[in-house]
Amino acid sequence: MGKRFVLGSVGVLLVLAAIVANTPNVAAHGEAADEPFLKNMTTAFFNVSVSPTEIEVGEPVKVTGSVKILETWPHTLETPEIASIMPVVPGPVFVLKERFVNGTAAIGSFFAQKGGIYEFEMELVGKEPGDWHVHPGIAVYGTGTLIGPGEWVTVKPSDEPFSFPLTLLSGETIELSTYGGAFAWWWSFAGFVLGVAWILYWTTNKRTVTNLAVTVQLPVNDDAPDIGLITPRDHMWMNVIVGVTLVMLVVGWTYATSNAPVRWPQQTDWFTPEFISSGEKMAEAQASGATYDEASETLEMKVQVTNVIDSDIALTQLTMAMATFVNGPEAEQAKAGPSDFVGRLEVQPDGPIAPGENKELTLTISSSIFSEERLIPTQAPQQFIGAVLRFENGNDGHELVTVRSNVIPTQFRSTYLP
Amino acid sequence: MATETTTVTDIADAAERQRRLELKELLNKKYKWVDWKWDLVFWTTAVFVVAGAADITKQLFAGDWDFWTDWKDPQWWPVVTAFATIIIPSTLQYIQWTAWRFPTGATYTACCLFFAAWVGRYFQWDLAATYPMNFVWPASVVCAGILMDWTLMKTKSFILTSLIGAHVWAIAVWAYNYVPLAAFLQPAHFMDHVVTVADVQGIAYIRSQTPEYLRLIERGALRSFLGETQYVSLAFAGTAAFVGYWIGQFIGRYLAVWPIRRYLKTV
Ligand SMILES: [Cu+2]
Repeated sequence: MGKRFVLGSVGVLLVLAAIVANTPNVAAHGEAADEPFLKNMTTAFFNVSVSPTEIEVGEPVKVTGSVKILETWPHTLETPEIASIMPVVPGPVFVLKERFVNGTAAIGSFFAQKGGIYEFEMELVGKEPGDWHVHPGIAVYGTGTLIGPGEWVTVKPSDEPFSFPLTLLSGETIELSTYGGAFAWWWSFAGFVLGVAWILYWTTNKRTVTNLAVTVQLPVNDDAPDIGLITPRDHMWMNVIVGVTLVMLVVGWTYATSNAPVRWPQQTDWFTPEFISSGEKMAEAQASGATYDEASETLEMKVQVTNVIDSDIALTQLTMAMATFVNGPEAEQAKAGPSDFVGRLEVQPDGPIAPGENKELTLTISSSIFSEERLIPTQAPQQFIGAVLRFENGNDGHELVTVRSNVIPTQFRSTYLP
Repeated sequence: MATETTTVTDIADAAERQRRLELKELLNKKYKWVDWKWDLVFWTTAVFVVAGAADITKQLFAGDWDFWTDWKDPQWWPVVTAFATIIIPSTLQYIQWTAWRFPTGATYTACCLFFAAWVGRYFQWDLAATYPMNFVWPASVVCAGILMDWTLMKTKSFILTSLIGAHVWAIAVWAYNYVPLAAFLQPAHFMDHVVTVADVQGIAYIRSQTPEYLRLIERGALRSFLGETQYVSLAFAGTAAFVGYWIGQFIGRYLAVWPIRRYLKTV
């Protein structure tokens, strides 16, 4: 090994190490890679719960919560019309057994719209042991999968192997984990054996590469039985293999169709979920600007709020994309969603807003979620954020109000690359 | 005059007979350095190239339809599968027929593809990603390969093979894979619905980045054909396979054989 090689290798390693060291932490599902507008302007996930967080293989986990498709949906994306809610997990480490959207069992997709609220309830059953990050997600046609807050779920091995019984319309119960798999393999393998027989016939009875010397001197449609390229004997044996193939097909077909006499095309069910209201009208809210300090990860937003009902209201929560910030103590925050995606919302001046009162509130949030999930644009073509404010009155009433604000970074960093 | 003409023809015939006898001798000529070991090396090393080409082409054009049972529908699956899987077999048919006069190209490609597809599904999809094999088993085209090679052997013509063989291909690919699929089309109770077993697999085995609405399957639009989606689709699949067959021929003629000939000429 030359000195130059060693030096070169060390150099390459140093460069690689520098790249690795400079790569920002990426969240478990890569959502931080999405542009901020793809998260905070599109949807807001609230009241998400994933529980229990420790199960054995074969036991259920419930994922519940709501997602609102925001009125601030970016004009750069296709208007939301069709959506599908699903768990976002690393592959089928769970199986999805139940899914309701606004109370309706949802096997597929549904029709969605800006401003729509979709309350979901999914039951997962642990299939593979491990620690898995479980998020709810909503896929929107033309946009892709948008992700909600995640929670770690530990799936421990169980004494019982994973099983997935499924009852057919015929009354028979099958084990879905393996049903029909061995047959698919052996059936394909049988065909493969016939194919190998076909190839072996030609390659063992005849020479291959040296045939070229002959074939180049013949027209392409001359199979030259007299020369010995393709002989009547070859035809005979190939007819036999084709015959066996056809017999196999007929036998296989007869078996398969008598084994499964009732067969349907794949089913599809898209529906319009029942409407869920954003709550009784109680507040008018308009954001009048926001700043973001990257060093302290602090967002400050000014909001003009008018109480339009005849009782006191209070601003209790702000939800941005997958994160919820609570105007309240830690006990209140813990109820708002998976702990990694919950933070504190400071409201100045705090306290109730009286009927008819118009107030300018300053909302302050300091949270590492902003950078971990890359929620705030700092140099984007659309310097906007969207968020959902939750107002409550004294008697269990609430309203969700979507606000949209320009956001200005407090420090402008020099950048030397675009 | 008449006798003279006959004589000329006779001489020409005799010359042709002589040439063919020489070719027969050439066919069986013993070469000093080239023996069966060369053939073996050729056939086995080509497995990986052909398997790769066939598998990539299939995944490119028929990806999800081949990956999941709940995409193996009556309308789209037969068409895209027939088209995607015929391309490389057609190329190999051209190469192996013109070079060695073997009606083996399609079957050979199908066997290579069988190998690549099952290895890929088992190691990547089942073991690594934990999708059960009964959900992700690949379609197999060996039976179709045999029938199409047989068609070429009988017709000795690429044009006739493209006309007859492509339709045979489309029907054989579908019929052969419908056999293992049938059990997955049985209706079952799931999530307050009656859906097929394949649908249950598609819903239960979570695909976070392949939402249900992306599934391009029969959703009822072709029902105006008296409900006979399957047959309309198969007829179209034959046409699609015909196009695929000629794409394969193009690859064989101009991307594989022609550059080699040019190279040999310059050498
Ligand atoms: Cu995650």
